[in-house]
Amino acid sequence: MTTISGFENGLGRQVAPPRRSPLTPRTRPGRARRSLWAAGIAAYIVIFLIVLPLLWIVLLSFQPSDRILGNPWSLNTLTIDNYTRAIKQLPLVRMYANTILIALVSVTVGAVVSFMASFALTRMVFRRPRLQSALRVYVLAGLAVPVYVLLFPVYRIDLTLGVFGTYLSVILPYIAVSIPFNTLLLTGFLREFPAELEEAAIIDGAGLWRLCRAIVLPVMRPVIATILIFNVVYVFNEFPFVSILINNPQLATVSLAVSRFQGQYSVDYGGMMAAATLVLVPQLAIYAMLQRQVIAGLTAGAVKG
Amino acid sequence: MTWISARWKICLLLFPGLVFFTGFIVWPVLYAAWVSLTDFAGFGQAHFVGLHNYLMLFTTDPFFWRAVVNTFIILVVGVGILVPASFALALLLRQRIAGAGALRALAFGPAIVAPILVGLIWVFILDPRIGLLNRVLEAVGLPGAQWIGGNTLTPYAIALVFIWSSIGFAMTIFYAGLQLQPHDVTEASQIDGATAWQRIRYITIPMMRETFAIVTILLVTNVMKIFELVYMLTGGGPVHRSETLVSYMYFVTFTNQKYGPGMAIAIIVFLLGAVISGGYLTLMRRGRGE
Repeated sequence: MTTISGFENGLGRQVAPPRRSPLTPRTRPGRARRSLWAAGIAAYIVIFLIVLPLLWIVLLSFQPSDRILGNPWSLNTLTIDNYTRAIKQLPLVRMYANTILIALVSVTVGAVVSFMASFALTRMVFRRPRLQSALRVYVLAGLAVPVYVLLFPVYRIDLTLGVFGTYLSVILPYIAVSIPFNTLLLTGFLREFPAELEEAAIIDGAGLWRLCRAIVLPVMRPVIATILIFNVVYVFNEFPFVSILINNPQLATVSLAVSRFQGQYSVDYGGMMAAATLVLVPQLAIYAMLQRQVIAGLTAGAVKG
Repeated sequence: MTWISARWKICLLLFPGLVFFTGFIVWPVLYAAWVSLTDFAGFGQAHFVGLHNYLMLFTTDPFFWRAVVNTFIILVVGVGILVPASFALALLLRQRIAGAGALRALAFGPAIVAPILVGLIWVFILDPRIGLLNRVLEAVGLPGAQWIGGNTLTPYAIALVFIWSSIGFAMTIFYAGLQLQPHDVTEASQIDGATAWQRIRYITIPMMRETFAIVTILLVTNVMKIFELVYMLTGGGPVHRSETLVSYMYFVTFTNQKYGPGMAIAIIVFLLGAVISGGYLTLMRRGRGE
């Protein structure tokens, strides 16, 4: 062990060791460096294993289909034929347009109605305060409902409303599903954020609309970004609802299109992998650009609760 | 804030959210509960049959029990490996390794890939004939196995895919928890001569008990939602040997169109989810000292 005791003065207060930065590990330097090396190598191996399946898909997407069955490792048979075929067969623009349209409408409406409700549930003065907290608990209880319970009932509701098979058939449940989580984060923020600024604005004569637009929304920008990202990722990746509620291939979202690859491409494995890569790469590219926000958005429920 | 709290304003703000929430969450749960107690056939009059659908599931449906067992296997194997593995990975990526930030971002990557695409990707890893796994095993002289599509291994294979797609997510939550740990305790123990392993075992882990509970509960909840993986990897087959609870619910309801039994499974899933979420909420409350 190093002579740590020498760094302490009589009062037990720690004194910085001479000529050593505080970041330097205090174990034996050689051993520390070696274990750091080992940790580094282990980390790189683990991450390589995590990324491997994605690399494998990309490699296969450049191999002719008969190679995939035979010897997929050889690098001199690589071709982009799969991509020309996949692009020809795949309504890429259509499926992205459908997904973006559905995401845009449902996420916007979901965020707006959740914000309105959250503002009323935290900032407004109810004649019966009990009712206010009861309503908040009522909405938050929705967090415990697995979407699988909703599939068949929503299918029946869509039939009754006459929206089955249209964009609205999935937009409506997506809005509803986003409300509990949005309300959790928005009311959580509003409860911790002091209302003094808003009170001052009201005394200065601001109405409800101006108050929200000029005072409340600007300070809430980070939470709103978090819920928008969370909801957009949800809608982009959602499959159970679309698989039941959208039966027209023209309206298919990205997830729904991917679920049909196996039937569509059959044994054209190269084409299937090229199509998969064409879906995977834009998603990973957007993630790479917004990495910090995406991670914050997807773990917000766990970290802030 | 009383000045802006006219009753009509409160109602106006609450109305749209409550309508969506009640109409598409609360009402559907009640409707599902009602259908689970009837012989509803999609048209005509439904008759109240009490708990008949539940009793039939428990007593005469072997596929249902198989789905319960499969879900349980995925739960035990998946969560059992994920919790220690993702914690270890968080400790590892906390070291001053070159590019640790980029490695953490890469580890999180699988969590944003659509589950349906995760399923498709893993078909090309696990498929006994064309998959990467058997090729690698055969290349090093080991026998391959029927990872998916056989009689026994599919739930374990699904657990593996679940581990792959969740490890970065769980690691990120542990990492955030580690960042919040006060440094003085570990430093003090370091001065007292505790080894790295002792510090982790006797200081870090006990101090992070709450984070462990949160990660475990989130992962358990996510296991209960595994559907797309089954859909893409095996479609539940052969003969429903690889179903999970929700994939079997989907089959019974939408392929077989047995709405009563289907909704009975859905309500069972709902009750399990409610118990888990209830545990989660009490935990968070206690954590914040409410």
